[in-house]
Amino acid sequence: MASYVPSRRAAIVGAVAAASGGLAGCGRRRSPGAIGFWAMSYEGDYSPILTTAFTAATGVPVDHQSLPSTAAHEKLLTALAGDALPDVVALPNEWVGEFAMAGALAPVTDPALTADLFPGAAALTRYRGRPYAVPWSLSPQLQYYRRDLLAAVGFDAPPDRWGEWRAAAIALKRRRPDDYVVLMYLNWWDTLFTLALQAGAPMLRDRATRGAFSEARFAHAMAFYVSLFELGLAPRALSTEIQDPLAAFGQGMFALYPNSPVLLLDLHRRAHLIPRERWAVTRMPGPTGPGPVSSVSTSLAVTARARRPAQAWMLVRYLTTVPAELRLQRLIGKLPARPSAWDTPQMRNPLLRPFVAQADVPAPSPDVVEWERIRLEVQLVAERVVRGLATLEEGLAEMDRRADRILARRRALVDAGRIA
Amino acid sequence: MTRQQRAGLAFTLPVLTVIALVFVLPTALALTLSVTDYSVYALADWANLSFVGLGNFRELADNPLFWRALGNTLAFAALGVPMAIVASLAAALLLSDATVRWKPLWRVILFAPYVTSVVATAVVWRFLFNERYGLLNRALGAVGLPGVDWLGDPHLSIPSILLFVTWKVFGYNMIVFTAALSAVSGELMEAARLDGAGPWRRFRHVTLPAIGPTLLLAAVMSVAGFLQLFTEPYVMTLGGPAQSTTTILYFMFDEGFKWWNLGQASAVALVLFAMILAVTLVQVRIGRRREWL
Repeated sequence: MASYVPSRRAAIVGAVAAASGGLAGCGRRRSPGAIGFWAMSYEGDYSPILTTAFTAATGVPVDHQSLPSTAAHEKLLTALAGDALPDVVALPNEWVGEFAMAGALAPVTDPALTADLFPGAAALTRYRGRPYAVPWSLSPQLQYYRRDLLAAVGFDAPPDRWGEWRAAAIALKRRRPDDYVVLMYLNWWDTLFTLALQAGAPMLRDRATRGAFSEARFAHAMAFYVSLFELGLAPRALSTEIQDPLAAFGQGMFALYPNSPVLLLDLHRRAHLIPRERWAVTRMPGPTGPGPVSSVSTSLAVTARARRPAQAWMLVRYLTTVPAELRLQRLIGKLPARPSAWDTPQMRNPLLRPFVAQADVPAPSPDVVEWERIRLEVQLVAERVVRGLATLEEGLAEMDRRADRILARRRALVDAGRIA
Repeated sequence: MTRQQRAGLAFTLPVLTVIALVFVLPTALALTLSVTDYSVYALADWANLSFVGLGNFRELADNPLFWRALGNTLAFAALGVPMAIVASLAAALLLSDATVRWKPLWRVILFAPYVTSVVATAVVWRFLFNERYGLLNRALGAVGLPGVDWLGDPHLSIPSILLFVTWKVFGYNMIVFTAALSAVSGELMEAARLDGAGPWRRFRHVTLPAIGPTLLLAAVMSVAGFLQLFTEPYVMTLGGPAQSTTTILYFMFDEGFKWWNLGQASAVALVLFAMILAVTLVQVRIGRRREWL
């Protein structure tokens, strides 16, 4: 048990040290001439392949760090407080406003970088009207499905309306009662928020200072979401419980798999688990057909206190060129953020057609720094409802309560006129 | 100041300076933070920082998740301490039996989990706990029992994690108990046997009184340890399902580092500090009464 003792002290000391900003200096980069670059998940793992060409062309070395997406938010905030941010960071579009407000990012001044963008992604990377990041890749949620399993119950593809989609899922469940039909992790917010976006739920109200989750459209989406678990179509599982979802998909543990384009990489790498002819991909269903979906699209930003800003902008400019974004698409599946990249033979691949259709639909997102946390809290409450620990009405009221609590600080500042 | 005093000061000053810098100062700052509303807004602009007095503590008292985390932590301690102590003591008793051979080997094997990485072993145990493919459910299936959703059921997640924690930590106290057991008087044991005392009565009236102080110390240390449980739920369940394994330290970590509400997080740290201080005071008081501290 002695091993726990230092951890508490370290946590307390660390909190204060980081907060006071005094003991910064840890986490400095190794090679002094290189520019630091942080990216998450596959983008972090594969970006060294992209920057090798950059270094060869410009002579500027790049120091990489790949962050796990589950720990990236705290890593970035801690680095900001400790003045240890790298020169360039790749971050989800929804975080740009938060980190720009906190003074972590340098505004984008080169208009060439912010031309040729999808309007939805461009809007998310603006804070108070100024762009603070350059969209790098798009990652909308679509559904991958098992063609063979759906064909067995008489469908070529999953229907695109909620009612018929659920009916098809029920038919699948009846045919394979020991398996599930759709995988939606109970600790991931993406599918619930796709449903809410499809239903047109506003989610926040009163100048984004209060939650609007009891509102009818969100309630409708939430009821549909919960029903998928109650009917036994989706497992009540966390992401920590299903260690190898792709293998489970290959074995038919579920036939519908809402996921991002990054799954293309896994499907390609592990084709022996699930042959190419057995799966396909299409857009997520909506109440009356496909619509906006949640996504984890990424932008590149130069930090406000970058040591070598000129070289940092060179890297951002290089990575957001059409050829580099197409290369990233080939490597990890994530889609190019520049519309002109979409008019190439690579993107005319029939497999990518649903992604092309989805990329044109902008998904509105509340522009508040607390949004990331609200999303996670709403998902936590949704999990309670799914597990039967709260009724739907109690859950929706609780979502509003939690959102209001998180937004209390913002509400006070808005009322005082300090922020818009 | 005499020469001796100067020499003493010269020897202690470096250490005192370091303690002041890395312990006293941060603790004082944490105390200060806990009465402010330091958040990501204050990180952006110091003008957004204000003094809130006991506001953070009032907010904590109003926050159901804080109470849930506190309850979870107490559940971890109430269940985990007996589990860990009984496992350590049982292993130590088995190992101290004269008929056991290759004792050093057994000691190394049983102690090994304690010195392996928490994260690596937690990942392995996550596989063992898997509802469909895990070894534990396979074993249950082999004897005809239905599988258990170890980490997915909010009512079972705490016991499941405790199973792992017990396996991980019992080796340490086992070694401590082994040392204590070697001090149990052989003559007394022999006399009890001649008087017709069975194994249980020998354990109850000879062994237990001899290792009592060690047992108490181990129990109190374990309570302090279990109050600070964080890594295991963080790696195995991310605090879920339905936040049933979110401990007080996990709550503090999320508030402080994930969301940068350091005012609130410092308030939680103070509450945790008070809890552990209380446990330590009990420990010292019991120790003094029994005269082994």
